[in-house]
Amino acid sequence: MKRVLPFIIIVLVLVAGLLTALYLQRSTAETPAARLIANPSPSANPATTANTADSGAEPAQVLGSANAPVTLEEFGDFECPPCGLLHPILKQFEGQFGPTKLRIVFREFPLVPTHAHALAAARAAEAAGLQGKFWEMHDMLYENQKAWHDAFDVRPIFEGHATRIGLDVEQFRRDNSSEIVERRIFLDGKRAHSLGVTGTPTVFLNGREVPFESLAPDKLKALIDSELAAHP
Amino acid sequence: MTSPIETNQPNLARRLATLYGVAAFVSLIGLADAIYLTVEHLSGRSVRCTIVTGCSEVLSTPYASVRGIPLAAIGAFAYFTVFSLATLAAFGYRGMGKLLTLMVGAMFLITLWLLYLQAFVIGHFCQFCLLSALVITTLMVLVVVSRGVKARKPAAD
Repeated sequence: MKRVLPFIIIVLVLVAGLLTALYLQRSTAETPAARLIANPSPSANPATTANTADSGAEPAQVLGSANAPVTLEEFGDFECPPCGLLHPILKQFEGQFGPTKLRIVFREFPLVPTHAHALAAARAAEAAGLQGKFWEMHDMLYENQKAWHDAFDVRPIFEGHATRIGLDVEQFRRDNSSEIVERRIFLDGKRAHSLGVTGTPTVFLNGREVPFESLAPDKLKALIDSELAAHP
Repeated sequence: MTSPIETNQPNLARRLATLYGVAAFVSLIGLADAIYLTVEHLSGRSVRCTIVTGCSEVLSTPYASVRGIPLAAIGAFAYFTVFSLATLAAFGYRGMGKLLTLMVGAMFLITLWLLYLQAFVIGHFCQFCLLSALVITTLMVLVVVSRGVKARKPAAD
């Protein structure tokens, strides 16, 4: 028996390892957000999703028509490199599908403390939003992500962005630390947590989470096309 | 496979068996860590940014896979091999202690390289990778001690 026992132990550990891997893989697929994929609401409408999740900051940062058949909601962090990679893809789709077909919603999900400047960037975008230039600042932040990512003090850089997009910089400075900006970021974060979002970028297409691997341009475009086909 | 060795030095044999048993147990921690990281990698979660870990910065780099195979999966296989060798050595199988030392030595060198990459090339540390480094270091200490015990026990291995 003593000769066989080590082999029995080794086989048992192998089986336990495989079962653990299977369990972890399944639990990955069973986050609240993923359940939305498995059980989409009958109308697959983001408004329906909002019934079960916190609504986020109102009004949301939106591009495109409220009647657009496809809504793409991104939970993003301006300092997150994969979010920076997703940015040009969404810009391309924005032009390609147009505001009547595709509506893009951006939700703040700054990953603190993973990213040192993520919260400052979210504040800058929301402060610009108070002057009606959220998307201009959003683009600036993503397009210059590498330039400010390693900076010690990002405030002068963001104020430079504010000047370039034509903001009242004094107002921008005041809004940066305002309660309304804090509140908007908090409410978007609350929505993220209620949907089980744990990382960025997380994208919901008509209320259903898009798996991360499907955020590649061709796959995401195929998903949008199929939504458009389903909701002409 | 060779049969368990007989020894006329029961105390040293017991100490060796205990050391290998501890090594087998410690390698299970490394195995669990590597399995978790493999699943994270394959599910794509490690590639996105998250609140809980600093691992995304590390696991999204090209260093996280070798020819498309996640490094964590290779690590899981290596830990399983270490566990198997340590278990067989604990049960007194000849030659297993030597193989275990070679395996752990190689893993330790690779770990030093990975720590260098995290510190000086990537500029971020992933705590799960650091846990693996701690496990390997512990295993290294255990096999060095076991070689010392074995040196006093010429009949073994």
